[in-house]
Amino acid sequence: MSSKLNPLLLVCLLTAMAGCGKQPVAQPDASARAYDVEPDWNDAQRVIPLNFRAAQGKRIFYIQCVWCHADATPAGPSNRSNVTPTPPLMNDGITLNKESDATLRNAIALGGSALGKSAMMPPYGRTLSDEEITDLIAYIRAIAQPPYQPPPATVGK
Amino acid sequence: MPAEDMGRVSFRLRYAFAVSSVVFVAVLAISPVKDLHREWKQYKRGYVRFAETRPDTKRLLADVHPGIDQIWLPDMNVVDRCTTCHQAMTQPSLVGASVPQPYRAHPSVPHSVTDWGCVICHRGQGPATEVAEAHETTLAWEQPLLSVKFIQGSCGSCHRGDLPQTPKLNRGRQLLEEFNCAGCHRLEGIERPEMLGPDLTRIGSKTSRAWIYKWLKDPRTITDANGNVVVDGYETEEEPRMPKFNLEEGELRALSAYLSSLSGQPVTSYPFNPRVVAALERSPEAVTQGEVRFRQMFCSTCHSLAVTRAGETKLIGGDIGPELTKVGTKVNRDWLVAWLRDPQAYLPHSKMPRYEWSDEDLFRVTRYITEQLTDSDLLKDVPGLPAVTPEEIQKGRRLFLEKGCASCHRIEGVPSQKDFGPDLSALGAKNVSQLEFSESKIPRTLVAYIQAKITNPSSVNPAARMPQYHLTADDLDAVTIALLAMAGPPASPGMRRLVVQQPAPVFRPAGAFGKVYERYKCYVCHKFNGFGGDLAPDLSYEGSRARRDWLVDFLKSPQTLRPTLVLRMPQFNMTSQEANILADYLSMALQHPSVDLDAEEARSFTPQMAALGKELYEVKYQCQACHTIGYTGGYVGPNLSNAGNWLTPAWTEAWLRNPQALVLGTGEPRRSFTNEEIRALTAYLQTLRQVAKPPAGAASHGAGQ
Repeated sequence: MSSKLNPLLLVCLLTAMAGCGKQPVAQPDASARAYDVEPDWNDAQRVIPLNFRAAQGKRIFYIQCVWCHADATPAGPSNRSNVTPTPPLMNDGITLNKESDATLRNAIALGGSALGKSAMMPPYGRTLSDEEITDLIAYIRAIAQPPYQPPPATVGK
Repeated sequence: MPAEDMGRVSFRLRYAFAVSSVVFVAVLAISPVKDLHREWKQYKRGYVRFAETRPDTKRLLADVHPGIDQIWLPDMNVVDRCTTCHQAMTQPSLVGASVPQPYRAHPSVPHSVTDWGCVICHRGQGPATEVAEAHETTLAWEQPLLSVKFIQGSCGSCHRGDLPQTPKLNRGRQLLEEFNCAGCHRLEGIERPEMLGPDLTRIGSKTSRAWIYKWLKDPRTITDANGNVVVDGYETEEEPRMPKFNLEEGELRALSAYLSSLSGQPVTSYPFNPRVVAALERSPEAVTQGEVRFRQMFCSTCHSLAVTRAGETKLIGGDIGPELTKVGTKVNRDWLVAWLRDPQAYLPHSKMPRYEWSDEDLFRVTRYITEQLTDSDLLKDVPGLPAVTPEEIQKGRRLFLEKGCASCHRIEGVPSQKDFGPDLSALGAKNVSQLEFSESKIPRTLVAYIQAKITNPSSVNPAARMPQYHLTADDLDAVTIALLAMAGPPASPGMRRLVVQQPAPVFRPAGAFGKVYERYKCYVCHKFNGFGGDLAPDLSYEGSRARRDWLVDFLKSPQTLRPTLVLRMPQFNMTSQEANILADYLSMALQHPSVDLDAEEARSFTPQMAALGKELYEVKYQCQACHTIGYTGGYVGPNLSNAGNWLTPAWTEAWLRNPQALVLGTGEPRRSFTNEEIRALTAYLQTLRQVAKPPAGAASHGAGQ
């Protein structure tokens, strides 16, 4: 796997995305069961298929990340409103699509403070393996709204 | 023949010979031409053309050669020629749905194609070189390709234990267990529990014939006008464990007559303190107080109640015990009191803890259950049932065995019916020709057969005795996956070596602790050294984590460490003596080998260290994102307001160093604190002490709610 073109996402880049005015409808109950699909958080009728990587990312997301990066969690209410500045929703394509896979990887692995962002985002580099972070990024890219477009592949080295 | 004629004949013969030679050569030529157009060669040429349109042509074509490709793993009986057409299996640049098949690369999964081949997971015919033969059922090959939707079934044929990567398979195995499939079928890796359905030896003392009739007819209570179960609760089952048997009227009457005749010794009513009875018997508040106690004791951790809000009915509560919304219509009051006081006296294998009750609480909760949790409409469709006749009892007893009821339910004096249904431990490897479809119109595949058999058994076998199960589409797929995983013993020695068995630890301590542990059924929710439930924290190392005094207080009156939990530790009303027995054992026996309590207790923390720790907590690491102290902070981790009384310093330090080493899979991320920071944070947490405990059952103040 020399070129990582995976989709992805995650975490606290707290660029405020005020104004995107979405009403996410994550359905933790139903979605936690179907691991190879995720309902579009902005449109519960639309179902996003997940490949193996993204499905693994979904599993990790619902263990580690959902508490602060979604407005509905398996436990019901979300911790997102307790965190200042407010973390981006995991499907927030406006904020996250412009970040490269490498930036997301750093944000997840090193935490917010290492990137000059909020220290409330803890580092997961010693908790999750590189592969798990790759899976998470795949999941973040898969559920992004607006959809994530991978950068043109740079091929052939 | 004249000589001159011979020349002419010879010419004609030569002419015929020439023509036949040409025909012969042409026929011979068909073979190489046909060979040139064989399916796999076309795909190979197609791949070369396809690769030429890609930017990394050179790399894509590096390993291409004109012959058949094959993965040969003699140890595992693998001869897979799939890569002849699926050329680019391992090319990272061809991953993704945008690449046309058969040239798409395999998405990255934990097993590599070259080490495992293809058919071990995907099924199909490995040595075949034609599309249809490789993928579909043919006369000579009955194991067609397995749809990717069910691929986790293949993971399960070697991985007999649960893997985090196979949630559907895990869910399916859990459902097979929950629905007591092991009652009638032998299943690979799923043991027959000691109790499946309840023991019915004395069912007549518990409930009425009318209720039994209704339950046999349709074993659900929370239904809408169409008979659908109308719940979508959290952490609850949507389907009762008792399946629907489609019994006829006469059978319902006979079975209900037989069962209601089984009453054993009549239940003696419990002699409540007359003062309590006098005070509470008429008081309308007693019912409300009973409801409050029901909630405070957290009965809902195991039992759910249907709650309708805004037109939506949800089951709120856990699914360890039965749903209780209308149980007041079912049980008789004397039985209920006896049950609450000592469940194991009625059902020796019940998971229900034996609570400690005061007469007041018992009376109030009983009134709440028998007066509030009722539904006068529940039995309205039950016809008038005349007095039971001996013939009906006889017939009921016969039906009980004919229908296989004794597979799950015990009745004293009735032989048990283990293995009443077919052995399913090798169902996943069955060929289609071994399955019975009768008149059914479903596709002739194993997956379709399994699903039809579960949802409507008589569609594939009109004489089926199997009851009907109603599963959601997701759950049906999960169960199908778990059954596909039961492919019997591995076929080759190489595969046999790969099978990863599921460990089955047991933790049943003896002595005083063992008695209290059994009484309160700690293991139903908590795990001890790998044994027990996973609803509540793993207590294998609780003695290293929690201070003994805190344990005693907590056991007597569980407080809220995690305010958002719906399912919480019940209030057992245990005595001080029992709490001390539990706390002593936890503190002494359940310790983590690497956490040295003595070494750490001796160290004194200075106020300077605590001040530094507070700063680290609040500013540098901002732990308040997830933890609450006082009334501020997040609720992802436990509330730390009382950490000084709760946690041992040794555990805190070890935890900060590496939480996953102490509790596998904990949500707390592992950080890179320095030793000095770890000591400072521990010193700070040790200063957090709540003097007065909040009253039991007080509303929690999780921030942000």
